[in-house]
Amino acid sequence: MANVPTDERLSLGLEPTEDTPAAARAGSWRGHLDVGIPAAIIVLLFAACFVWPALFPLPKPVGGNIFDANLRPLSPGHILGTDTVGNDVLSRLLYGGRTSLETALAVNLIGLILGGTIGALAGYLGGAVDAIAMRGLDVLIAFPALVLALAIADSLGPGQGHTILALCFFAVPIFARNARAATLRLRELTFMTAARLCGTRTWRMLVRHIAPNILPQLITFGLLSMGAIMVIEGALSFLGLGVPLPDPSWGNMIFQGQQSISATPLLVLFPSAFLFVSVLAFNLFGDALRARWNLR
Amino acid sequence: MTATASVAVSADRLTRRVAWLATSPSLRLAARRLLIAVPVLWGVSALTFVVMSVLPGNAAQQLLGAQATPAQVHQLELQLGLDKPAWLRYGDWLGGVVTGNLGKSIASGQSVTAIIGLRLPVTLELVVYALVVSLALAVPVALLAAHRPGGLADRLSMGISMAGLSVANYVLALVLVIVLAVYLPVFPAIGFVPLGEDVGANLRSLTLPALAIGLPLAGFYTRLLRADIADQMQEDYVVTARAKGVGPWQVLVRHALRNSLFGLLTIVGVNLGTLIGATVIIEQIFALPGIGQAFIQAINNRDVPLIEAIVLVLASAVVLANLLTDILYAVLDPRIRYGQRPD
Repeated sequence: MANVPTDERLSLGLEPTEDTPAAARAGSWRGHLDVGIPAAIIVLLFAACFVWPALFPLPKPVGGNIFDANLRPLSPGHILGTDTVGNDVLSRLLYGGRTSLETALAVNLIGLILGGTIGALAGYLGGAVDAIAMRGLDVLIAFPALVLALAIADSLGPGQGHTILALCFFAVPIFARNARAATLRLRELTFMTAARLCGTRTWRMLVRHIAPNILPQLITFGLLSMGAIMVIEGALSFLGLGVPLPDPSWGNMIFQGQQSISATPLLVLFPSAFLFVSVLAFNLFGDALRARWNLR
Repeated sequence: MTATASVAVSADRLTRRVAWLATSPSLRLAARRLLIAVPVLWGVSALTFVVMSVLPGNAAQQLLGAQATPAQVHQLELQLGLDKPAWLRYGDWLGGVVTGNLGKSIASGQSVTAIIGLRLPVTLELVVYALVVSLALAVPVALLAAHRPGGLADRLSMGISMAGLSVANYVLALVLVIVLAVYLPVFPAIGFVPLGEDVGANLRSLTLPALAIGLPLAGFYTRLLRADIADQMQEDYVVTARAKGVGPWQVLVRHALRNSLFGLLTIVGVNLGTLIGATVIIEQIFALPGIGQAFIQAINNRDVPLIEAIVLVLASAVVLANLLTDILYAVLDPRIRYGQRPD
């Protein structure tokens, strides 16, 4: 099938083969836009949230003056206006983005490392280890994340670190399942057998042979899950289990704005727009990498 | 032929039928999956119990409020049986579940089965409505996109669906409320009319919640289906059909889509559990009396029997959806029935 020329494929109503966009891609900056644009948006977001507040003085995100409440956008000193208690909206958006991005990044890194190790070990060792690990993860996956999030928020008190902990219970099993599936596909390949026959130790097999081969899949999955975690963090805020007010996160800003949604819809729309753009950027980036690395 | 002979023949046929069923790969697959599901559900219930007993505060304190004296709390604890050790309470509860008795809600005194029977239909109706919305959008749009790969419709629909699946459902819910309930009062922002009372009003009250869940889902399904159809279009049978002179739409709908629906079916099934979980927050926003709302109330009240029952319902939904998908898949596709199990 692959040797049908492109023109004929088009006249048959088939998609052109994979090599056409790759050929067009080679040496042309246009071919890299699928990865470049989302990557640039992500870099901009991180810069806006982490660098901008350090370089340019912004009003504090908390402790605003109640007499400045509900200022419209483009008011002097408050470019995007203020919220219902007088805090600067732009400042809250940027500091809130910090919280949201940090939370998502931390959860995904822990998920990638811990879940990846568990999954790769289970998949590589097989047998009883695999069966026990997978049933345990099945329980965690079927367990409603809400109960855990509440339990953690209630017994340890709400806070960013505890939100991260709660979300890890949700992320680690999913990463582990992914890593296991990828390892199972890998295990029967000839180079793995060859390495085993050379007497390679288990940890070396994991680090040198399995990890580099399952990493692309885990990274693309992690990018898609960055967006998902940011969304779930917001959902927890709705139930009062996320990052506690007055500290900002995009999720709790949306939740706070919802209470006065008919009077001041912008207080919901600003953080929603930021959340949407970052989730979209992470999704596009993950999707583009997946297409490029030919993963499914 | 005499009557007894025909009875003997049909009895023989029946035993052969049963024997054939027992060796049926799809049935064996189902039985194996069901056996795995039992310990998973047990684990979920045990974990819930552990979590709830580790938590500070219990139903007695929660019901009496902050002003209650320790003596009053202790009195109620004795009354509710909360003074017994946790493992004993779990044993009692588990014994009840095995005999089909889920116990009584601590907060309301109603039987847990009755509460779930009242709440679950609302959530299920919302889920079905959202699924109908998403599939009714996804299938035609994916076909339109796959009709001319790389064309305007393809790029446009892929862009829009990517944007759609990147919207958080609670954000979409709020935007829908701003547009379709505040500025253009077409749909009610909150409230629920039972199906038995007024069908039209019931559907109106569920439309915004169903759109909030269904539209992001539609984006997800559209992209999956479009990718799967594109894969099918590369297959030899499609080339054969085209060479025989079958029209492009005919090939798309009768040949490619039919095969692609398998993939979609799996994803819909696997996602069903997550979908029911997603309704928790949407029910909260639209004040729908579904199982999610009951769940949040139960957690706040530390109403352990009700929490356990709802957790079991949610977890069973995840497990059963996976199981049904596997079985349906094996029944519909003989290649899987006789090969390895789908994973």
